[in-house]
Amino acid sequence: MALLEASGIGKVYPGGVVANDGVNLVIEPGEVHAVVGENGAGKSTLMKILFGIEQPNAGTLTLDGRPVSFANPREAIDAGIGMVFQHFSLVPSFSVYENVVLGSEPRAGIRLDRDKAIAEVRALSDKFRLKVDPLPPVRTLPVGQQQRVEILKALYRNARILILDEPTAVLAPQEVQELFVAIRSLVAQGKTVIFIAHKLPEVLEISNTITVMRQGKTVGQVKTREVTEKSLAAMMVGREVALRVERKPTDQTQRVAAVSGLRVVNALGTEVVAGLDLNVHSGEVVGLVGVEGNGQAETLEAIAGLRSIVAGTITIANENATPMSVLERRGLGLASIPEDRIAQGLSTGSTVAENLVATRLNDKRYVRNGLLDLKAIRANAVRLIEQFSIRVGGPNYTVGTLSGGNMQKVVVARELSEQPKLLLVNQPTRGVDLGATQFIWRTITDARDAGAAVLLSSADLGELLALSDRLLVLYRGKIVAAFINTPDLTPETLGTYMLGLSTQTADEMKAALK
Amino acid sequence: MSNIPAIDRSSRWKTVRREVGRAVGALVIALVVTFVIVLFTSKAPFDAFGQLLTAPASKPRTIGLWLDDVAKLTVTGLAFSLVFQARQFAMGVQGQVYIGALAATYVVLTPLGATWAGIPLGIAAAMLAGAIYGFLPGIAKAKLGANEIVSSLMLNYIAIEACNFLVRVSLPKPQAGVLTTNEFPDTAVYPQLIKFDFLNITRLDLGLVFALVAVLVVWFALYRTSWGLKLRLVGHNARFAEYAGIKSTFIMVSAMTASGALGGLLGSMFVQGQGYGKLTVLFEGGLAFEGILVAIVARSRPLAVPIVALFYGYLRQGAQLMNIRTDVPAEVIGVVTAIIILLVSSSFSLNFVTRLFRRNPAAVAAPATAGGATK
Repeated sequence: MALLEASGIGKVYPGGVVANDGVNLVIEPGEVHAVVGENGAGKSTLMKILFGIEQPNAGTLTLDGRPVSFANPREAIDAGIGMVFQHFSLVPSFSVYENVVLGSEPRAGIRLDRDKAIAEVRALSDKFRLKVDPLPPVRTLPVGQQQRVEILKALYRNARILILDEPTAVLAPQEVQELFVAIRSLVAQGKTVIFIAHKLPEVLEISNTITVMRQGKTVGQVKTREVTEKSLAAMMVGREVALRVERKPTDQTQRVAAVSGLRVVNALGTEVVAGLDLNVHSGEVVGLVGVEGNGQAETLEAIAGLRSIVAGTITIANENATPMSVLERRGLGLASIPEDRIAQGLSTGSTVAENLVATRLNDKRYVRNGLLDLKAIRANAVRLIEQFSIRVGGPNYTVGTLSGGNMQKVVVARELSEQPKLLLVNQPTRGVDLGATQFIWRTITDARDAGAAVLLSSADLGELLALSDRLLVLYRGKIVAAFINTPDLTPETLGTYMLGLSTQTADEMKAALK
Repeated sequence: MSNIPAIDRSSRWKTVRREVGRAVGALVIALVVTFVIVLFTSKAPFDAFGQLLTAPASKPRTIGLWLDDVAKLTVTGLAFSLVFQARQFAMGVQGQVYIGALAATYVVLTPLGATWAGIPLGIAAAMLAGAIYGFLPGIAKAKLGANEIVSSLMLNYIAIEACNFLVRVSLPKPQAGVLTTNEFPDTAVYPQLIKFDFLNITRLDLGLVFALVAVLVVWFALYRTSWGLKLRLVGHNARFAEYAGIKSTFIMVSAMTASGALGGLLGSMFVQGQGYGKLTVLFEGGLAFEGILVAIVARSRPLAVPIVALFYGYLRQGAQLMNIRTDVPAEVIGVVTAIIILLVSSSFSLNFVTRLFRRNPAAVAAPATAGGATK
């Protein structure tokens, strides 16, 4: 008998978005069940229904063969379901054990029984091989460990079924392996894991069963050993997908951007970029590799002029750009696709047309004598919507109404509507579905082929290896390794440098630093 | 691609309809609650409530009072809309009104006031002074990181007390001890818009025209100039504006300065209007702050501001007349205001209300359908 079964689940959001339409999911006890699908396929909605955050408009849930319905997460938790979200819900200043017991604290009278809480958290973490010290405050922990705290939180509440929402998105390859060890130990001790993911190799490695979703429907449920990455990708998007991009040979001799001796300090006074030297040439993609938080984002922001620097010089197109404003740097041919499109790359409350001209408000084509040329702005939007096949009702729709992939297309359309000289890209396909990923990769590669110098940072090593000509590994704000991208280069090789386990010598790096 | 404009427009109308529905819904709920309160507190509740709803439209004189309020509420509503759209919570309109009125007074009590230049110079002085007074919290925030809510509120007190002090001790006044200045020369007072031959008492003056012009100017500035687009982008997402190369501090300070000019204009509309024609201590009576309500309900849209002001001004006038003519105090209008602000700013929807009422039938229906599906 299935442990948890959802059948005929339908969910229509107010506003008419059909997120789930007759979705079926059968979870057997003791398995790792992966749910895969493009963004907007309805995975998150389904999980929210299982966890009681959303209520379905149609369909039934059964747990242990009995029909159930969860009005809120509390009821789901009481029924033995736990969920770890992509964005953690931890109190940064609280210690690990305080976070774990928060809301279901062991008490001694009216006091929190700290010793008991610590002991319980230790016992749990040993039992399930989720190694984490219960005492330090959560904010001091790396992301991988914070995730373990989240899992412990669910286990502390006696979760039998654990839902992990894209757990590997924030992890380095080695950390992913540790997570998988923990998942296997959970399953070995009778827990059941539902695993939502984008990255197919990981899904194939960890899961027993895979449910594929597309456009709010379940396409099918398959045994992992019976499928390949290719057949799975085809099921997800409904057609065969090539997960590689063809790159033209380009002339890479002309230096477009040079950074030397760059030092950046964050708000807490910690040095996040510690003396960085790098060059980017016309027609090449340079990939910045590293676990998040090792200075990649800060480097890109410093080059874009969004972050003040302590020392160093930045040269763009043979001009010293160090003292220049954002707009002046853009005038030199700089374009940038920022990490967090909603927080930084878009104004979600403004229209698509307004977003598409926001970086060109000193351009005579759109603004004359301080007055907007609404016709030209609209024509620009109509042209870009068509060219980048952005799915939107019209130029005057607010960006907030678009899906994640289409929002990212708006950013890409704005930044690449004119051929840039230097393109900065940070996490271009995070949370973006396969179809849109293909499109964005193609667009970035086209910009490179046409002579742009591209500096790319991504948490997805597959993406870096697919797009880059050269790769620089950053660890604690310094370049610790540099490679010319070849088919022999593997994520594991990069991983040892990403985690600071080894460092190349200056001579080893020389060839790939140019 | 040719069908895009039609879809665009229909979506915009949908938004407008939803917002109007929301505002009207809030108004109805607020009035019902107010009626219940009046029912419990008044000896003649129906008469009192009737006064609230009908009195402003009953005579030409009250219509004049109402529309005069509408003009003033429109200008303060615009001033708040401007800073709210830039996501600055500057609360300084009241102070700008007093400073603007003071500046206008100083100008029109010179010999210049007795010439044709009395009105334009008075307005110019008021707007300039208001703009400077709006600039102060802006620059303090940009350079020193001073919170604009705190600094603008404090500047309000300074302006009110400065006005108080100057009227008492230094400005020329008809006799010792009164709290008003000399009457302004006729050339410095806004002319009446409509004169009734038999009853020359309607207060409606040139201020209404200025208010309508201000609506158009603010709308144009926000939606047709690059400054306005930058301002709205800064308001929607300051980080994005920064990333796009927009100088957000300049936008912030200029928005607060422009809003200050509107506040100054309102000061001139008070003291140079038919209602006063002189500077009086505490002349503004708290009206400037009611622009917050107008701006919130109008969602900071300049074209919606005068419409909201029309309704709100009516209720406000109704409450004052109810205060005079019945046993219910004008403060009851505070209940209406509070409920409207609460409902509108919490983005309540009428669906929520209908769901509230349909809750029980739905709860009964849900298990029935669920049961049907399992069979």
